[in-house]
Amino acid sequence: MKRALAYMVLTLGALLVIYPFIWMVGTAFKTLPESMGGSLNPLPQAWQWGNLSATLQAAPFGRYFFNSMLVGITVGLCVVLTSLLAGYAFARFSFRGRGVLFGLVLATMMVPFEITFIPNFVVITRLGWYNSYAALIVPWCANAFGIFLVRQAFLSLPEAYYDAAVLDGCGPLRFLRHIGASMVKPTLVTVFLFAFLGSYNALLWPLVVTSDPSMGVVQVGLASFVLDSGVRLNLLMCASAFVIVPSILLFLVTQRYFATGALGSGLKE
Amino acid sequence: MSLWVGFSDGLDRVLAWADGHLVGRSGRPEGGRRAALCLLAPALLLLGVFGVAPIVSTVLLSLFDLRYGNGAFAGLGNYQEALQSSAFWNSVRVTAWYLVGVVPTTIGLGFVVAWGLMHVTQGRTLFRTLYFLPYITSAYAAALVWRALLNPQGGLANGLLEWIGLPTQQWLLEPRGLLHVVTGGAVAADVGPSLALCCVMAFDIWHGLGFTVVILLAGLSAIPQELEDAARIDGAGVLQVIRHVTLPLLTPTLYFLLLIGTISGFQAFNSFYALTQSGGNTLGTTENLVIYLFANFYDNGRWGYGAAIATLLLVAIIALALVQARFARRWVHYS
Amino acid sequence: MLTRSFIGLSLLGGLIAGCNPTPSSSGDFQPLSTDQVVFWDRQTTETAQLLQRITDEFNDSQEGLPVRIETTGNYGEIYRKVMASIQARQLPAMAVSYESMTAQYAASGAVVPLDGFVSAASGGLSPEELADFFPAVLESNYYSDYDGQLLSFPFSKSVLMLYANHRVLRAAGIEAPPKTWEEFLQQCRTIREKTGKPAYAISVDCSTISGMIFSMGGELVVDGVFQYDQPAARQAFGLLETLMEEELAYQIQARTFDDEVAFARDDVAFTIRTSAGSANMAVAMGGKNDDWSMNPLPQQNLDRPATILFGPNITIFKTGAEQERVAWAFTRHFTSVPVMTEWALATGYLPIRKSVANDPRMQAYWDAWPSNKVPYECLAFAKTEPNLRGWQEIRSLVEKAESAVLAGLKSAEAATTELQVEAQATLARAQQ
Repeated sequence: MKRALAYMVLTLGALLVIYPFIWMVGTAFKTLPESMGGSLNPLPQAWQWGNLSATLQAAPFGRYFFNSMLVGITVGLCVVLTSLLAGYAFARFSFRGRGVLFGLVLATMMVPFEITFIPNFVVITRLGWYNSYAALIVPWCANAFGIFLVRQAFLSLPEAYYDAAVLDGCGPLRFLRHIGASMVKPTLVTVFLFAFLGSYNALLWPLVVTSDPSMGVVQVGLASFVLDSGVRLNLLMCASAFVIVPSILLFLVTQRYFATGALGSGLKE
Repeated sequence: MSLWVGFSDGLDRVLAWADGHLVGRSGRPEGGRRAALCLLAPALLLLGVFGVAPIVSTVLLSLFDLRYGNGAFAGLGNYQEALQSSAFWNSVRVTAWYLVGVVPTTIGLGFVVAWGLMHVTQGRTLFRTLYFLPYITSAYAAALVWRALLNPQGGLANGLLEWIGLPTQQWLLEPRGLLHVVTGGAVAADVGPSLALCCVMAFDIWHGLGFTVVILLAGLSAIPQELEDAARIDGAGVLQVIRHVTLPLLTPTLYFLLLIGTISGFQAFNSFYALTQSGGNTLGTTENLVIYLFANFYDNGRWGYGAAIATLLLVAIIALALVQARFARRWVHYS
Repeated sequence: MLTRSFIGLSLLGGLIAGCNPTPSSSGDFQPLSTDQVVFWDRQTTETAQLLQRITDEFNDSQEGLPVRIETTGNYGEIYRKVMASIQARQLPAMAVSYESMTAQYAASGAVVPLDGFVSAASGGLSPEELADFFPAVLESNYYSDYDGQLLSFPFSKSVLMLYANHRVLRAAGIEAPPKTWEEFLQQCRTIREKTGKPAYAISVDCSTISGMIFSMGGELVVDGVFQYDQPAARQAFGLLETLMEEELAYQIQARTFDDEVAFARDDVAFTIRTSAGSANMAVAMGGKNDDWSMNPLPQQNLDRPATILFGPNITIFKTGAEQERVAWAFTRHFTSVPVMTEWALATGYLPIRKSVANDPRMQAYWDAWPSNKVPYECLAFAKTEPNLRGWQEIRSLVEKAESAVLAGLKSAEAATTELQVEAQATLARAQQ
């Protein structure tokens, strides 16, 4: 009885939540007049598979995908590394000014990103990084959220593990490499996913620091596609649907780690 | 493979050496400030240059009356102007309505879904993926779809209203208040959030729900099942178990979500930008603080003024986070 | 120690990055590339391919640095990027820009005046050549805020058009699209009566309002005084008010092409858009040229017609003598008669020089479909928006006023009265 209710609520909610995606995919494979027709049926009368190749020809999406994946994965890995090291340091070492420093790190999370544009753009050009992968990657290689999550994960580990390792003559860095990192692995995977998504879905920053088409990323490609295609709603939706696929795959691969309590158990003061 | 083994060995040796030198042989490594420095260096360097430095320069900028880079020192003039500007206070109201509307609703709905997911055996992975789908979609791509669904001409939303037999609406173009629209005009048009703002809020609730669900699931699965079972044996109903066992044990997670939700709510930009462009078409009723500072900073070239708004926003976020932290002591239970 | 050095580092970074608040207006900017002349543009797809071919031809024909096109997003994005780049003191050699954008760039001392290039004995433009450009196309590039210097050069231009769907007109028993605003309103009423449909899909846009005001016999600014409280502006906003009140028109979502969609779907008879959109409209209409037309904007007084000119210019930035020289040579090449002809034929943009009309290919293009020639004919009486500092900001005020009228929250009278005051105050502040 309770389970039936749960299923009903969940199914209803899920339908509401994914309706826009059904509409997106349906419209992507409609003919142009049908896509403009304002029909309430989200699915096409006849699936126009040709729309897919028409979309891919309209912009160099292959190159965009390569760039986005390269940038997203690199950012993800770098964030994991910097967060692991810094989170561990904040959790396991005591030094003067730790509280202030951690507060400053958290403060960077509270600045609206839009205002950091111009200062960061100036730094990027001074470094000669305009139109380069470095400009897309380096500024995002550390973030407060990741450091916070890793710190919480280490705080929630029982001290006994640590003490035992030290007694065995294992220093803090080797402890991190051999024991610590694997114990917070679910958190690291989570940090990777969020960093990847943040980078992959970013639009404004890539728009500002690149203009060379060979440096284009998918979101920028999508935005310029909106500009040209104007009324070609079906191709626009086809491109949008296509762009989400890597994120979905990544989520499917990583999602079992969320269930292990990567976030929930570690949220202690 | 042997390359990896070699690398791994080498790394170990370096780490052992570093452990020895940085920490010393003095037993517990708490005194290892040098080790901490090394560990923190990469993150601090990056955050310093790309995170804290912009804050500093923003605060500095806010003291100048700059238009496109030209201008003179103005002291607190920009702040004074902001506090006297009706457009500024309008954007404060929009931000406040947004926070009140989005944060509790997302957490509430997220709890219902997460609780449901805890109590089903089949298809949990599928459901979780479906609910997470909006969150992994870029706001930009998702907004394209929502704009089509909310299109007053031929969009799904008005199609449904027509089907039910209700008057159609202007949705993202409607500057009148939600209450005004719902009551058929009994409430004044400028009371409460506009219908357009409510559409943006609905979008962000939809977009952020998956994140909340995943975090709540993690929190729920950390609660020992025996506690709930014990309460149920004592004769407590479902709601009573939730009220007296589940929710209290979930408070750390709820607090985390509240904090994250508030911070990102203050910073909401993408949804507003992608759904309503500048907010001009809704007469400022979808112009939150970030959109307001963005328009001033970039479109109007008022760097100093925009920076002052950004500084006020930063102060507001930190203040609210501190207030929440203070109140958290009363209601958050750490096991 | 750690904390202090972190804070110190950040402070230092903040000071370096942090925008030296008073940049010296003298001194050049670094070019984006030292071995190429970078041009920031917004063209895409077929138009971009053509521009690339023209550029390749230009590069083959000259000895200097090659020109490189970089597609940089829409105008708002280009504007933001240029402003950020001015702050970083590193700029492309040139960029497409509207007059209001150029006026702001010039305030930072980044723009090269072109008067010297134009009057130069070699590589300049003779008085005859200058006279070959339509006056409206050229004159908005002389900026009164900067001693009347020529700070930009016309690039691709279009004019505001009334698009008419003849299927809907026929259904309402209407023979021809309206020539005056009075006829326009009358036809809208007839369409509503006969077909039950609204006649016009409104896209909120400052330039469209400006064009309506021009065509109703008004001006936007006279001697530094806005004219929004004058009869023509009142009439333009009043027309919108009437259209909404009588349910003859509706508003589409901002920055979308929903009006073109509705037009192609026979949901409305009219949209008012620039001639640059005709290629997209042709796609949406499925190539059925008999079913739609481009017409001059309706007028108040057919003896003294007026409309508004759209489209960007090229602004050249202070990035060093060689970059600037090539940038000008490219601009001159692009606006030469043969290139202009090719550009106009392929893109539907206006040929901005009179002698292009002599080309037989141009004549053939115009003969192919009557609507093809209409934008060109309107060029003779097209006017431009002001190129004053502060106009960029005022544009959003105009759109706010328009939205208020369309939503029925303000009368045309009240909206224009408020707009006048706000626009004047904003202009005064921007001109300080």
